[in-house]
Amino acid sequence: MKFKINRDHFANGLAQVLNVVGSKATMPILSNVLIEAEKDQISLTTTNLDLGIRCKIKAEVKETGSVTLPVKRLAGIVRELPNVDVTLDAAPNHQVKLTSGGSTFRIMGIGKEEFPPLPEFGDEKAHALEQSELATMLKSVAYAQSSDETRYILNGVYFNFKDGKLSLVATDGRRLALIAKEMEIPADGSGAIILPAKTVGELTRLLDKGAKVKINFNDRRAAFQIATDKDTSGLIDHVYLYSKVVEGNYPNYQQVIPKETHQRIKLERELLLQCVHRAALVCSEKSNSVKIKLSSNLLEITAQSPDFGEAHESMAIGYSGPDLQVAFNPTFIMDPLRALAKDEVFFEVKDEVSPGVFKTLENFVCVIMPVRLS
Amino acid sequence: MAKVRILPDRVANQIAAGEVIERPAAVVKELVENALDAGATRIQVEFRHGGRSLMRIEDNGSGMSRDDALLALERHATSKISAAADLDSLASYGFRGEALPSIASVSRFELQTREAGSDVGSEILVNGGKFVHVRDCGRPVGTRIEVTHLFNSVPARRKFLKTDQTEAAHIVQCVRLYALACPRTAFTLIEEGRIVFRSPECSTLAERIAEIFGRQTAESLAPIEAAEPGLRLSGLIGRPGIGRATRHEMIVFVNARPVDSRTLNYAIIESYHESLPKGRYPLAFVFFECDPAAVDVNVHPAKREVRFRSEPQVRSFVIRSVLQRLRELGGGPESGLRRPDGFQAVPAPLAASQATLPGRAATVVAAVPFSSSAPVVSKPPPPAASPSHPVSAIHHPQSPAPPAPAWRFLGLAHGNYVLFETSAGLVLLDRRAAHERVWFERLRDQFRVGAVPSQRLLLPIPLELDPIAAALLVDRLKFLAAHGFDVGEFGRNFFRIEALPTWMEPGDAEPFLRDLIGAFRDGRLPEKNADLAREELARIAAAKAIRLPDNASEAESRALVAQLFATPTPLASPAGRPTYIELNHGELARRFHK
Repeated sequence: MKFKINRDHFANGLAQVLNVVGSKATMPILSNVLIEAEKDQISLTTTNLDLGIRCKIKAEVKETGSVTLPVKRLAGIVRELPNVDVTLDAAPNHQVKLTSGGSTFRIMGIGKEEFPPLPEFGDEKAHALEQSELATMLKSVAYAQSSDETRYILNGVYFNFKDGKLSLVATDGRRLALIAKEMEIPADGSGAIILPAKTVGELTRLLDKGAKVKINFNDRRAAFQIATDKDTSGLIDHVYLYSKVVEGNYPNYQQVIPKETHQRIKLERELLLQCVHRAALVCSEKSNSVKIKLSSNLLEITAQSPDFGEAHESMAIGYSGPDLQVAFNPTFIMDPLRALAKDEVFFEVKDEVSPGVFKTLENFVCVIMPVRLS
Repeated sequence: MAKVRILPDRVANQIAAGEVIERPAAVVKELVENALDAGATRIQVEFRHGGRSLMRIEDNGSGMSRDDALLALERHATSKISAAADLDSLASYGFRGEALPSIASVSRFELQTREAGSDVGSEILVNGGKFVHVRDCGRPVGTRIEVTHLFNSVPARRKFLKTDQTEAAHIVQCVRLYALACPRTAFTLIEEGRIVFRSPECSTLAERIAEIFGRQTAESLAPIEAAEPGLRLSGLIGRPGIGRATRHEMIVFVNARPVDSRTLNYAIIESYHESLPKGRYPLAFVFFECDPAAVDVNVHPAKREVRFRSEPQVRSFVIRSVLQRLRELGGGPESGLRRPDGFQAVPAPLAASQATLPGRAATVVAAVPFSSSAPVVSKPPPPAASPSHPVSAIHHPQSPAPPAPAWRFLGLAHGNYVLFETSAGLVLLDRRAAHERVWFERLRDQFRVGAVPSQRLLLPIPLELDPIAAALLVDRLKFLAAHGFDVGEFGRNFFRIEALPTWMEPGDAEPFLRDLIGAFRDGRLPEKNADLAREELARIAAAKAIRLPDNASEAESRALVAQLFATPTPLASPAGRPTYIELNHGELARRFHK
């Protein structure tokens, strides 16, 4: 195998696939990238068996073939090469010669045979979305995923294609975020998957390369084809992301979303975020909660920690309901406020033991459970 | 012929021997006590074959005249007491007047003695209780008793002796105890012609311990001294976190008499509850002194056991004193804070506090109840330069937290041990144990104040239990609710966890509650004693439910150390495991053969 490639294109391609490899892979081959050269492009593939990414880059291929190389080292080298023109030449014994300007590297590779292939999808359920839209939706809910490995079902984002809409849901058992989007769903296309947190992270990172993203999935796995028509740094065709899904039943999220609205207040998102953020500065590990107090046209936020002090913030709002007060973990309030882009949000509360709910006009709901001092 | 008759003296002595002289070590004990009662300053004990074939005890005490010596071999003949009232103010080890005739009745017994005033000494030989001869002999002032062929005349008892090694171990332990009790008497112990230990007159207990138990043991001890009217505790106790698998190095003396006192032993073990893991025993060489009238030593023929007139008072005094001392010791590590010179040495207050220690003199003085002006627990030197603390607390008056020691962060080993360089050497901190200690204190404070924030759950966690566990849980729902768990009954033996303390991950809730119910079952969280239950809850939570953060950067490790040393007992985790170990310069030099 032999090809000539632009250094920056090569580096960009490697950067796309780099994150997948773990630091302590039990199989050495999994810390390698599979490089395959054909016609006028090369493809780069990495996998950790649960998650795999493949991207294609244009190159001047002189001889087709394939080899695998340790990806972290290779990416480090490619970034530093002195000349934009890079030539890669793999001998049949998998020794690779990398030349660029005056520098030459010889790197020992491993043959393609040991590299586990990425499964390709046939006619599973398929949907197409705008990349920017999916990215926004993921961002709106991803923070609510659980990182607690003992509840693995919640370690991901739930994708539900059903009844003419796609809903994304994430929860850690104390709060839940949901965003929905109407779309056409054919009868045989409805279904749901739990996409693991790591995949969600990779997907979010990749979703700015072009217009469309195509989703294929079945009960065991999902694949995303991310078009790269916007990208100019050598990526061609699409980036292919393959992932296993979390197997199991996602909790019934519909039943935890309050059906009735008691007190609804309209809030300026940025202002509320800043107030809560400031108040939370006095919180400690011991007492990590802020109290929200509603009275006539006034919202007060207080926080205190016994060994530091206390904070008090107030905001003018339009409110005419009864006085009430409820405490929350400040992170639970700030996370959705940060993730949203709209200037206005609605916040619904009832009493000190009932959940608080953030809503926007775009089918976004975030339910957060209160903290109580016993 | 009458059926009932008075037994001849020899038989009576043999019977008494059965109580007093149960094994060779008992002979050594009685004779060493006699030597000490005679005011000896040098005692040599020699034995062969676990004491079976020979035990020889020689002292330089006052000695006896021939008449006294002959009389001493009669039953109930003693110079130590003269009236029953004297039993209430015993200041000597012996008082029964049974030992010598009992020993003489079951062995070949040879006694040589000379009083200071007389020209010649006397030698008396008794074989199996039968008087053989008494004659003049030459010897220095003092007494030498040689006991050979022990239990030759009572084969039944001879059969019950354990192996020579076991019996020898008992003798060694016995002599050690008395050597500790009287550091000012020189002791030599010889087994089969080989010196087991020889300890010259020592001025302090610490020196004596170092002589007998080795330097390492002596270095892991700290002095303790406490007094209350009528009660006094002094000696050395193990530093927190240092324990032994057996209680052999937990030695208690009551009025300088080595005893096995349940009251004192348990009081000491209990005091170390938080400083040692379960199943480990503290090191302690403790002298407890009280009015001789307040303690009854005449309970056990061999005087191993004692009884106190007022056990609860003794118990609470010991626990209070030891806990107080442990807290002081735990207040800060030796490294960095206390010893800027960087060398671990025998603590300075030791010599001073030992001045009034054990020995015979102290015991005699003990007859007078201590005045309330007796020295109280010695205060450790104040921690070095405490930075002025920002006045911040609004709700709590705050005592300035002790500054974290000046440790230099070196790195993290195996993700769990943080390595620091200190002025005294190296410190390895167990993150887990330190974290547990910090959280334990945090939760305990939170529980005490009663403000436990509770996070309600979006998705309640189901919990199905067997009927017994369910009944236990139902009884304690209130207790749990007060500590942040909102658990509701949701059908037969079925519960739902609706809210959790904020520090707990929902995923940990179910296993934690199951563990907790197990603890309820074991009675570890008594319903009646809320304080104890709260403490145990905090302990279980800190150990099981608090997650150790994955990464440990330098800043985090430093913060952990600072938090750890802000707790009252930073040296051990709530389960009593040490939070860090220190390799001092001496230790490092020793390892590298420098």
